[in-house]
Amino acid sequence: MKISDIVKADPARVVPAAPVVGFDIGSRGSKGVLVTPDEIHTVFIPTGLYMQETADELLSLLLKRAKLKRHNLGFIVGTGYGRISLKYEDIPYQVVTEISCHAMGAHVVNPATRTIIDIGGQDSKAIKVDPATGKVVEFVMNDKCAAGTGRFLEKAANLLGIGLDELGGVALQAKEPAQVSSQCVVFAESEVVSLRARGDRVGDEEARANIAAGIHYASARRVKTLLGRVGLEPDLVFTGGVANNAGMWHALEDLIGSPFAPSPAGFDMIFAGALGAAVYAGRHHALSRPAKPAKAKAKTTPKPPVELETAKIETIVAEAPRLPHRPACHTPGRAEAPACGVAGFAD
Amino acid sequence: MATHAAHHAPRKAPPSISPDLMPIHALIEAEQEAFIKEEDGLKRAGYFCSYTPPELLNAAGLRHARLFKAGTPAIVSNGERYTQSVFCDFSKSCIGGFDKDAGDPFYLAVDKLYNFHTCASMKRATEVLDSMVPTTMLNLPRLRGEESSRAFFRDEIAHFRDDVADLAGRPVTEDDVREQIVLFNKARRLIRKFSDLRKRPKPPLSGRDFLELVRGFYYLKPDALLAAYEPLYRKLSRSRGKGDGRPRLMISGSEMADGDRRLVELIEEDIGAHIVAEDHCTGLRPFTYTVCETGDPFRALADGYLDQAPCARMKPIEDPLDFSGQLAQEYAVDGVVYVYLKFCACYGATRSAFIGRFQELGIPVLEISSDYSHSDIGQLKTRVEAFIEVLNEKRFDRLLAARAAEAEAAAD
Repeated sequence: MKISDIVKADPARVVPAAPVVGFDIGSRGSKGVLVTPDEIHTVFIPTGLYMQETADELLSLLLKRAKLKRHNLGFIVGTGYGRISLKYEDIPYQVVTEISCHAMGAHVVNPATRTIIDIGGQDSKAIKVDPATGKVVEFVMNDKCAAGTGRFLEKAANLLGIGLDELGGVALQAKEPAQVSSQCVVFAESEVVSLRARGDRVGDEEARANIAAGIHYASARRVKTLLGRVGLEPDLVFTGGVANNAGMWHALEDLIGSPFAPSPAGFDMIFAGALGAAVYAGRHHALSRPAKPAKAKAKTTPKPPVELETAKIETIVAEAPRLPHRPACHTPGRAEAPACGVAGFAD
Repeated sequence: MATHAAHHAPRKAPPSISPDLMPIHALIEAEQEAFIKEEDGLKRAGYFCSYTPPELLNAAGLRHARLFKAGTPAIVSNGERYTQSVFCDFSKSCIGGFDKDAGDPFYLAVDKLYNFHTCASMKRATEVLDSMVPTTMLNLPRLRGEESSRAFFRDEIAHFRDDVADLAGRPVTEDDVREQIVLFNKARRLIRKFSDLRKRPKPPLSGRDFLELVRGFYYLKPDALLAAYEPLYRKLSRSRGKGDGRPRLMISGSEMADGDRRLVELIEEDIGAHIVAEDHCTGLRPFTYTVCETGDPFRALADGYLDQAPCARMKPIEDPLDFSGQLAQEYAVDGVVYVYLKFCACYGATRSAFIGRFQELGIPVLEISSDYSHSDIGQLKTRVEAFIEVLNEKRFDRLLAARAAEAEAAAD
C-alpha cells in the first residue's frame, strides 16, 4: 500500500527516513506493520506460545513482502501484550503501550480522530486522543473480564457452531436480537445455551442470527459504558482485533447513536496499533540520529554528527498484495483461557 | 550466577526495600515473631482501622498491632466462606486471617480485637469475627464538624480505655494516656518529617520505603520506633540531589494492605516513576495531625482522630476531597493513581468526586480498581505504563515550551 493512500496526517511527522517496523503482539493475534519512506506493509498471524518466535515470524514475512533485509531496518517498536518479551541484538528496539500506539495509528490515518474504541482479544479500551498530536489524553480499560472483548465473541461463535469470522455477518441477519443480559462470559454462555435450546421454534438460521446479534449487543453495551467514561467526541474510530467484525460495528453504532469514521483506502484498523508502533519507531529512529546543528541562536556547540548508517532503500513500486483476511482473535488449538479470576493474560 | 547467589543468601526482605530500611524491616519481623511466640504474660490486642488510638493500647501495657496483613488469594478465600463475594478482598482477608485452621498465626495470637465502625463491609466482617475472637466494636461518628460528634466520640474513647484496662487487668489513668499521646505525637511527627523529605527534587526514599516506615508504626512500640527511625532520618535528610525527570506520583484511595505491594513495585521498579505521597490510611494520611497534649486526654484523642486527614467514609465529602487535592499540590505531583479495592463501597462510590477534584486542579489521574487475585498484573502494567507515557509527553511539552521561550528571550 502506498503511504500517501493510508496516511492522512502531515507526512513529515510520519514518513520515516529508513524502514521501520511496528509489532502489536496481542493476546490472540499478532500484527506487524513495516513502513518505508513510501510504502506500508502489513502482516497478521495468530500469537504463538513464544512471543519472540511470533515476532520473528512477523518480521521475516514483512521483510519478504517489502523485499528488504534486516540491516535495512532503522528501528522496531513493540506494543501489545507480548511487547516486553521481545529482544533484538541488531536492531534498536523500544516498547510503547498499545494505548499510545492505537491512538497514534488511528490519528495518522485520520487526523480528525478524537475518540477511539479499541477491542482486542482480551480487553477493550476507550481512548481520548489529542487531534493535534495523536497523543493520548485519557483512557479507560475494561477490568480483568472477557465481557466486551474478542474472547467473548470467540466463545459465542463456538457455542453457535460457526467461525468467529462468520459471527458478525450472521448477526447482521437478525430480525429480533435475542436478549443476552449477562455481562459475564460464563453466565452468558449458559444464556446462549438456553436460547439455543429454544431455537427450534423459529428455525435454526433465524434463531442463530438472533442469538449472534444478542451477543454483539451484550458486548457493545459493556463497551459503551467505557466510552461513557471518557466521553464521545467525533471522529469516533474503531480499532483492534474486533474492528473488522461487521456485527460489532453495527451494534456499537446502534447503541452509541453515532457512526464510526471509515478508514482510508480500506486500511484494516486491526493494524492501528502496529501502525502506531511503526510511527513511534520512525520517531525513535529520527531521535537516535544526530540533530541538525541549530542556527546561530544556539549557544552550545552542537555535538559532531555521528556517521550515519544510511540504509539503501529499495523503492518498491508494486502494491503489496493485500493479506488474506484472517479472523482477529481466532487461534485454533489454543488452550482455553478461563474466563475470569485466573485468566493470566490481561492485555 | 545471580540465581545461584539468591538461592544461598538468606532472604530477609523483599528486594525492593532499600538497604537503609533493612534494620527496621528486621525489627518489624522480630516483633511479629515475638507477638506470636513470646511468653511474656501480656495480652495481645489487634485493631483494623487507623481511627483506633493505639495510645490507649500502649497505655494499658498491651502488646498491640494493627491487623492489615493481606494481599494473598488464599487468605481471601478463607474469609469468603463467611461473606458474599461482593465484600472487598481486605474485609475477606480480615476474617480469613482468624480462620482456626488456615488463618495467619499472627492474627490467631490476638486475645482481643477492636474495631471502630467505619465502612459497612468491615462492620459486618467484625460481627462475623465476634464468634471467632473476643471483639469490641466501637462507634466512630461521620459528621466530623459537629460538636455533638466530638462529645460522643470522646465518650466512646473513654469506653475504649475501660475495655483495654479490663483486658490488661490494670488501671489506665489519664496521666498514662497523656504520656502516650506525647510519645505517639513524636512518632507521627517523625514519620511526617520522613515524608517531607520526598518533597525534594530527588526523593531520598521511595514510596515502597515509606510504606515500610508506616508498617513499623503499626507493629513497633513508639519508643522502639523512635530509637530506630531517628538515625535513619538524620542519614536520609543529608541526601541532596537533582531530580531525575521521572514523574512524581501520589497514590490515592483505599487501604493498601501490608502484603499488597505489587502496584507500588510495578510503578517504582518496573516502570520507574517516583511515589512521593500517599493519600490513603496505610500511607501518609494518618500522620498528618498532632493530638493536643494537655487537657482531657480523651477529648484530645477524639479531636485529634477526627481532625486527621479524613477517609472517604467521613462527611462532608468535601473534607477528604480538599485534603487530597492539597496533598497532591503540596508534593507537586505530576499525576495521581487513584486505586481502590473492588467492591469498596466507600472509594468506589466517591471515585468520580475524587477524580473530578484532581482534574479540576489540572492533575492527570489514573483510576484502578483491583483486588488480591494477582491475575490482572499484565493489565495493570499496560495501564500504568500508558499513564506514565501521557505524563512524560506532558512534561516533554512543558520542557519544549520552556526551551522555546528561552530561545526567544535570548534572540531579543
